[in-house]
Amino acid sequence: MIELSEQASTERFMTSRQMAWFRFRRNPAALIGATIVISVTMLAIFAPILSPSPQSAGSFVDFAHRHHPPSAEFWFGTDNVGRDIFTRVIFGYRISLSLVVGVLGFAVPFGVILGLLAGYFGGRTEFIIMRFTDVMLAIPPLAMALAITAVLSPSLVNAMIAITMLWWTWHTRLIFRIVKAQMSEDYVEAAKVAGASHAHIMFKELLPNCISAISVKISLDAGFVILFGAALSFLGLGVHPPTPDLGTMVSTGSEYLPEFWWEALMPGLAILYAILGFNLLGDGLRDMMDVEV
Amino acid sequence: MEPILDISGLNLSFTTYGKRTQVLHDVSLRVGKGERVALIGQSGSGKTVTMRAIIGTLPIPPAKIEGGVIQFEGRDLLQMAKVERNRLKGTGISIIMQDPLLSFNPVLTIGRQMDDIVRYADVRLGSKRNSGLRKATILDTLQKVRLPDGAQIYDAYPMMLSGGMRQRVLIAMALLNKPRLLIADEPGTALDVTTQKEILKLLNQLVKEENLSLLLITHNLGVVREISDRVYVMENGHIVEEATRKDIFEQPRHAYTKKLMTSVLPLYGKRVRNFENNRQSDPKIEIQGVTKEFRGKVSFFSKKYRVVRAVDNVNLQIENGDIFGIAGESGSGKTTLAKMLLALHSPTDGQIKIDGRPLSNFSNSREFRRLIQIVYQNPGSSLNPKRTVTQALTVPLKFCGYDSTQIKSRISELLDMVDLPKSYASMYPHELSGGQKQRVAIARALSVNPKILVLDEPTSALDVLIQNTVIELLLRLREELNLTYVFISHDLSLMRNFCNRVAIMFRGQICEQGETREIFTDPQHAYTRALLSSIPVISEQEEQQKPKVTDAERQAVLASSTALK
Amino acid sequence: MAFYLAKRTLSLLLVLFGLAILIFIIARIVPGDPARIALGPLATANQVLEMRHEMGLDKPFIVQLWDYLSGLFRGDLGKSFLTSRPVMQDIVGALPATFELVLFTIILQITISIPLGVIAAIYRDTWVDNISRVISLIGVVTPGFVLAIILQLVASYKFQFFPVTGRLDAGIDYEATYTGLLIIDSLIDGRWDVLGDALRHIILPSIALAAAGIGQVMRITRSSMIEVSGRDFIEASRAYGIPERVVRFRYMLRIACVAPLTILGLEFASLIGNAFIVEFVFSWPGIASYGVRTILEKDLNAVIGVVLVSGVFFVVANLTIDIILGFIDPRNRLREGAEK
Repeated sequence: MIELSEQASTERFMTSRQMAWFRFRRNPAALIGATIVISVTMLAIFAPILSPSPQSAGSFVDFAHRHHPPSAEFWFGTDNVGRDIFTRVIFGYRISLSLVVGVLGFAVPFGVILGLLAGYFGGRTEFIIMRFTDVMLAIPPLAMALAITAVLSPSLVNAMIAITMLWWTWHTRLIFRIVKAQMSEDYVEAAKVAGASHAHIMFKELLPNCISAISVKISLDAGFVILFGAALSFLGLGVHPPTPDLGTMVSTGSEYLPEFWWEALMPGLAILYAILGFNLLGDGLRDMMDVEV
Repeated sequence: MEPILDISGLNLSFTTYGKRTQVLHDVSLRVGKGERVALIGQSGSGKTVTMRAIIGTLPIPPAKIEGGVIQFEGRDLLQMAKVERNRLKGTGISIIMQDPLLSFNPVLTIGRQMDDIVRYADVRLGSKRNSGLRKATILDTLQKVRLPDGAQIYDAYPMMLSGGMRQRVLIAMALLNKPRLLIADEPGTALDVTTQKEILKLLNQLVKEENLSLLLITHNLGVVREISDRVYVMENGHIVEEATRKDIFEQPRHAYTKKLMTSVLPLYGKRVRNFENNRQSDPKIEIQGVTKEFRGKVSFFSKKYRVVRAVDNVNLQIENGDIFGIAGESGSGKTTLAKMLLALHSPTDGQIKIDGRPLSNFSNSREFRRLIQIVYQNPGSSLNPKRTVTQALTVPLKFCGYDSTQIKSRISELLDMVDLPKSYASMYPHELSGGQKQRVAIARALSVNPKILVLDEPTSALDVLIQNTVIELLLRLREELNLTYVFISHDLSLMRNFCNRVAIMFRGQICEQGETREIFTDPQHAYTRALLSSIPVISEQEEQQKPKVTDAERQAVLASSTALK
Repeated sequence: MAFYLAKRTLSLLLVLFGLAILIFIIARIVPGDPARIALGPLATANQVLEMRHEMGLDKPFIVQLWDYLSGLFRGDLGKSFLTSRPVMQDIVGALPATFELVLFTIILQITISIPLGVIAAIYRDTWVDNISRVISLIGVVTPGFVLAIILQLVASYKFQFFPVTGRLDAGIDYEATYTGLLIIDSLIDGRWDVLGDALRHIILPSIALAAAGIGQVMRITRSSMIEVSGRDFIEASRAYGIPERVVRFRYMLRIACVAPLTILGLEFASLIGNAFIVEFVFSWPGIASYGVRTILEKDLNAVIGVVLVSGVFFVVANLTIDIILGFIDPRNRLREGAEK
C-alpha cells in the first residue's frame, strides 16, 4: 500500500465518496441486486394495479382454466383451481415483504440495543446478555419457529413472532463485537472525559460506527427472512389459504410434479429472485463500505 | 570499485481507482561494497516503494515499472528471470522489516519460521542441509545478534518476546542466509530510544563483522548520523540531494534538506530554545505520594493476584503557567500518571490536588471538567471517524451546560483559535490531514475553557515538519488563554525546547526533576544520563555535550533488550 | 491447552443448561393447553383434566421444572403422545439417520468450500473467481426446499439414477449394528451392495442440505485468505524467499481457515434446522422428520426432546471446532494460560 502523505483528503485526487462510488460502479452485482429489490418492492406495492387477474389472489376458482401451462395469457400458468399464478406470485411478494418489515422492524432495534448495552457496560451486563444470546443461538431456528407456530395457530403474525424471537441474536452478536473493538479507541475515553452521558456515548458515538455493518446485514437478512418464511409456509405453517403465499404455493404445487411443473417451480423461482436481489445488494453494499459482517 | 547496488533512472507508477499516479521519478542511487547508505524521506516520499522494488515484493498489477535499471552486483534485477531473482531473496539481498510485532507469523515458533527461511534457501540454491545443521546455523546467527539464549528463543512464540528482542531476531532472520546487501527499514523506530541505540550499535558491528553493505531507509536524521557513510534525500519520489554524511549535516544544499535539518529540535547548543515561566508561581497541581497498582488475577481459578505497580510514590508540584514535561520510555508509568490527573484512574495511595482541592472531592463535577482537559496522541483514534468536527466539538460543550446558540458561536470561535477555516466545521476526520485533525482535538480540549491541558504525546503521530506548527500553536494558545500544560512524551529533544520544567520517570518512579536546562546540561541520576546519551543527535557539537556514559553503566540501569518477558 | 478446553466446555455446558430451562419455559408459557391440544378439539372437559394430570400439568411450576430437569439427567424426556413410547427411545431410533446425513453434509461442505474458496482467492478477479462467486451465490440464495425439489425433479425423474426417498431401497435387508451409520457399518461388514445403495440415497439430500453452507463458507474462506495475504508477515515471508506455494498453504491457509471454521460452527445450528426441510422432502427417516411430524401433531414432549437434542448437537459441534482451532492457532490457548 502506498503511504498517503500529509495532504488533506480534499487535496487528494479523489474524495472517499468518489472512491466509494467507483467501487459501486465497478460492482455490477450490486447494481443488479438493487434493481431486483426495487422491482420486487414495486410489484408488491402496486400488486392490485399491476396484476393481470387480481381476483386470483382470493378464493376465485375457474375450473375451465385449471393447470394451464405458461402462455401469453397466463404468464406463469394457472394452478389447480385455475388461478393465475403470476398474480398470486406478486401478491405473495406482499406477504414476503411484510414479513421482512415486521421481523426486522423488531429484531434489529432490539438486537442492536442489547449489543450496545453488552459491549459498552461490559462486566456482568455483558455476561448476562451474551450468555442469553449464546443460548438462543444454540436453538436451531427452524425447529424453534416450527414449534412456536405449531402451538399457536398458523398465521402471518405468528410466523413473524417466531422468526423475530430468534433473529435478534445475530444482530446482538454483530454489534457487540463492533462495540467491543471500539471501546479501546481513544474517542470513547475522550467522550467520557468531556462528560458525555452513557446514552450519548452509546447512541451518538458508538452507534454511528455500526451503521454500515447494520445496513449490510439488514440487506442480507431481508433475503433470509423471506427464505425462512417460505420454508415455514412450505411446511404448512404460514398464512391461511386462500391468501397467496410463495412457500405454500410451492408446497401445493409440488403435489402435481412433474407434469404441472410450473405450479411449484414458478413460485420457487420467484422466491429465489427476491432472495437473490437482497443478497446481491447486501454484498454490493459490503464491498462498497469495506465492512466486515 | 563497482557498487553492489546501482539504481539508475527508476520510474514507477501506481494505478488506483482507475487513475495512474507517478510515484518514483527518475530515481538513481548507488551503494558501494561495504558502504552504509541512508535513504531519507518522510512518509509518502517513495522510500518504501523503492525498497520493495529492489527486493521484488512490489504488487505488480497496481504497480508498474515504467523504466530504469536496478543493478545488483552488476546484473539488472528487472531483466532477470523470476526464478533467478527469487534466488537472491535472503541470500543476496536481505531485508530487516520495520515492525517487530507484525513481521512475525503469530502462530509459528521463531525456530520454525527461521528454519523455513533456511530450508527454502537451500532448495533454491541446490544445497542440502539436514535439520540438525540448519538448527546449528540458526543458533549461530542468534548469537551474532547478541541474543544469549538461542535455544529458548527457538522454541518461543513471537508474542512472548520483548520488542527489542524481536528486532534482534528480525535482524538474525535477515542474516541467516549470508546476504551481501542488507536493507533496513526504519530500524528501531518502533522501539524505545535506549533500545534503538543498542540496535544501531549492533547493526554497525554486523556490517563490519559480516562484510555487509547496508541500505538504510529512514526519516530520522539522528539515526542517519549514527549509521551511515553516504546519504540520499528523497521528496515526493525524487532524489533531491546526495552527499556524504559529513556534508549533509554541515552543508545541506537543497531547500528540502535544509527544511528537514531545521525541523529537528536540538538537544544542546545555540539553537536550543529555553522556555521560561514568568507567571506568578503558585502551585497548580500537587501530586503527593501517589501510587497506582493494577491487580490482575493470575488465572481463572487461583485466588492469587498479580500486582503491577504502574506509578510508585510520585511527588510532583506543577506551578501555574508551567509547561511541565513528564518524560519516560514506554512502561515508565507516565501515561497512567497523566490519566490520574484526569481522574480516569484513582490512586491506590496518595492524593492529587488541584488548586488545593483533592481530586476525589470534585472529579465527577462539571467544574472539574472545566478545569482540566486532555489532548491525545493519535487524532486518528481520538476523533470519532463518524462524527463531523462540529459534532465532536459539541460534546464537551453540551455536557457542560452550553445551549445550542452558545455552542454554535463557541465552535466558530474555537476553529478560529486553532487556525482552521470555518468551512471545516462540517467535515469528517478522514477529510482532514493529520495536523488538522490534531488541531481539532486541541480545539475540543479547549472548548470548555480549561485552565490545565494534559498533552499526551500530542505530536508523536505527526510528520516532523508538521509537529513544529502544532507546537507553535500550543505556545500561542498558552499565552492567549493563560494555560498550564502537562506534557507527556518520550521525545526529549522536543521537551528540551518546549518545557520549562521536567520530570524523568522510570518504572513508575520519578528519578529526577527540575528546571529543564539544568537537567539536560547536568543530569544527576544514572538513568537520566543513560537516556540522554542514547538520543541520536545531528551535530558533532551536540554529541560532545551529551553526558558520557560507559557501557557498563548503561547495562546496569536500562531494561535490557535481551531478556525474555 | 487443557485449561482452555475446560473453560470452553464449562461455558458450553452453561449454554446447554440455559437452553433446557429456556425451552421448558417457552413450552409452558406459550398459550394453549397442551393437554387439550394433544387430545384434539373434541375432547371433553373431564378427559382434558385427566390428561393434564397424566402430563403432570397440575403440579406447581417449580415442581414441574424440577421433574423436567431431573428427568433430563436420567435421560428421560417423557412420553410421546403420538406413539406412547418414551420420547428418548424414539429419538435415539431416529438419530443415526440424521447424524449420518449431517456428518456427510459437513464433510461435503468442508471438502468443497475451503479448497474452492482458496482457489478463488488465489485466482482473484479472474474467470475462476467469478464462476466460484456465482456458484456460491446460487447456493446461498436458493431455499433448501426449492433446491431439494429441483434435485428430485432433475436427478430422479430425468436420470433415474438417484432415488427420491429413504435411506435404503426397500428390497435390501440390512441392520446397521455398529455405529448406526450405514456407510461405515456396511464397510465394516464388507457389504458393498449396501454401501453403494446407501451412498446413492444420501447424495441428493446431502447436496440440498450442503448448498447454502458451501456458498457461505466459500465466500468467507476467500475473503479471509485475501485479508491474510495483505498482512505484513506474509510480505516478510516472501521477502525472505519462501516459495509462494509454502506461503499460501502453510502460512496463509492456517490462519485464514479460522474464520470459515468458526462460521461452520455457527452454521451447524441452521444445518439441523434445514435438515428438517430436507428430511421432509426426501422422506429421510431422521430426527428432523420425526420432529416435523410431532410438531404438526403438537406432541409437546417430543417437540421439546427434538429441540433439546438439536441444541446438544450444536454445542458439541462448536466444542469440536474449538478444539481444532486450538490446535491451529496457539494464541488462544496461550492467551488463557500464559501471562503477557
